[in-house]
Amino acid sequence: MLTIDAKNVDFYYSDFHALKNINLEVEQNKVVAFIGPSGCGKSTFLRILNRMNDLIDGTRLTGSVLIEGEDIYAPGVYVDELRKKVGMVFQKPNPFPKSIFENVAYGLRVNGIKDNTFIEERVIESIKSAALWDEVKDKLKKSAFALSGGQQQRLCIARALAISPKVLLMDEPASALDPISTAKIEELIYELKKDYTIVIVTHNMQQASRVSDKTAYFYLGELIEYDATTRIFTNPKEISTQNYITGRFG
Amino acid sequence: MKVKRFLEKLVEGALLISGSVTSITILLIVLFLFKEAAGLFNSPVIEEGYVLAMNKSNPVKKLTSYQIKEIFDAEITNWDEIGGKEEPIEVVRLSDLTKYYTEEELGAEFENIPAKASELTAKHPGIILFLPEQYVAKNFDGTLLKHEKLQPGDFFGGNEWYPTASPSAQYGLLPLLLGTIWVSLGAILLSLPFGIAVAVYLAEIAKMRVRNVLKPLIELLAGIPSVVYGFFGLVVIVPFLQQTFLLPVGETALAGSIVLGIMALPTIITVAEDAMRNVPRSTKEASLALGATQWQTIYRVIIPYSKSGITSAAVLGIGRAIGETMAVLMVTGNAAVIPHTLLEPVRTIPATIAAELGEAPVGSGHYQALFALGCVLFLITMIISISIEFIGKKKY
Repeated sequence: MLTIDAKNVDFYYSDFHALKNINLEVEQNKVVAFIGPSGCGKSTFLRILNRMNDLIDGTRLTGSVLIEGEDIYAPGVYVDELRKKVGMVFQKPNPFPKSIFENVAYGLRVNGIKDNTFIEERVIESIKSAALWDEVKDKLKKSAFALSGGQQQRLCIARALAISPKVLLMDEPASALDPISTAKIEELIYELKKDYTIVIVTHNMQQASRVSDKTAYFYLGELIEYDATTRIFTNPKEISTQNYITGRFG
Repeated sequence: MKVKRFLEKLVEGALLISGSVTSITILLIVLFLFKEAAGLFNSPVIEEGYVLAMNKSNPVKKLTSYQIKEIFDAEITNWDEIGGKEEPIEVVRLSDLTKYYTEEELGAEFENIPAKASELTAKHPGIILFLPEQYVAKNFDGTLLKHEKLQPGDFFGGNEWYPTASPSAQYGLLPLLLGTIWVSLGAILLSLPFGIAVAVYLAEIAKMRVRNVLKPLIELLAGIPSVVYGFFGLVVIVPFLQQTFLLPVGETALAGSIVLGIMALPTIITVAEDAMRNVPRSTKEASLALGATQWQTIYRVIIPYSKSGITSAAVLGIGRAIGETMAVLMVTGNAAVIPHTLLEPVRTIPATIAAELGEAPVGSGHYQALFALGCVLFLITMIISISIEFIGKKKY
């Protein structure tokens, strides 16, 4: 079964036709990178996958998006249930003004888990999965804002992992970070792919080629090309893709 | 070029002047307030131009303002109650002299009053005589209570406000302060939950279109003159309370609280809503992306995040309530007694100043006491504004 299966997706911000007839399939435990110039719709498409765009007034979607075989835009779908299955990491680290521990425990608590031993185990496990344990194990009770930007971003990843999602969406997760933190995040993505299906939006071509199995190139709201990453970066079918990845525009 | 520079300097100077004039004016007002109020503790306990006289053998040589009042109200009837000997108190006013002496004895022109007053005081060990200064004989045979000053305790600790009492006016702060606090506290308890609920609705739940209608409407509430609120309170809330609670009068602290609560709502809603809208979108999205529902996001992220803003809203609301005069004056019944329930008439500090300043002779103790009330009010609101600054600076 496909983890993500989008069919004939059209998306509008009021009158603006942001995405045009997108068809895209993602298999389990793969990393897919979305690339393309600013305003091409890649972030919009990412936010369709956990219905984050619902927060914006006047948006409209046609077509269907299936996650693990379920149409997430069908009536009767609870958005909060969907978002437990599809975690998200944002462009800028956005920890809550709470302690490091409580940040990671948040997702568990809002899902009604009261068992404190379970919460503690899960929090430690998640922080370890996010390769942050050694740096924060002594200061779990400290404010999350005391961490560096890179650490905060890994904390946000740990927070997303704590509720055991099936899919992890990452919206330019390293764009606000220095090269060393970026390298750590990329390493982490490589590790996480064993357990999760990951969709990552990036402006950094090298990053896309390093971390992803497949790459989708968006341009002006259309999915121009979607193929294995090695193929996109060595021998793209479309001239537009080639122009973009070689840096002729964008 | 030179002209331009000169003009800029000129504008700069004008701004400097207007800034300093404003600050100085405010300082002068505060100074004036405190200067007038300070006079209160220099004013005599006994009505100006009068003395109290007692028998020489009486060991009591000093009386506080409150004791004098109790004596003349016949609440204290024996000297041993205030540290004297076992001796019934005999209260004598000038007009009572005719009970002891015939009119002939006092003289056709009352020229014998000084001598007789002295004689009477010497003869009666339990006497307290209230006498105009002009009738005090040179060799008066008795103790004169004359130059007692009002003590700070009489004002700050006094539990009666009766500025026209004779021979000793009562300037007790407590009933007015408590009245103010009860009314304001009631107002904030009513308006805070309601205000925060509306703020949450406007900031998080209402559709843009609804918000665009509601927000200006709520802000319009802030523009209604307070006398109109008072009018509304008097005509609608007061009779309603009277009928609901079967009260002898509907003008109660609760009526004041309700009117003030309505008046404080726009401030609370606007400030709290702004604070909630200032919660970063990314933080809200982070919560939603973790599978939190909208309500979980509101009470786990948005309210904790905007805590300082909500506190400022509450404090600003209290500030508004404490200083409000007109509406409260109209609906609280203005009885200067220490309230025991919200369903009793009370009188607040601002209402007292507004109602009484017009009839207090300039420079009198009453006049100065009203200024002292103003100082107390000023200090309360100043503490409130400082605490807003303090809360505003603290970030989670």
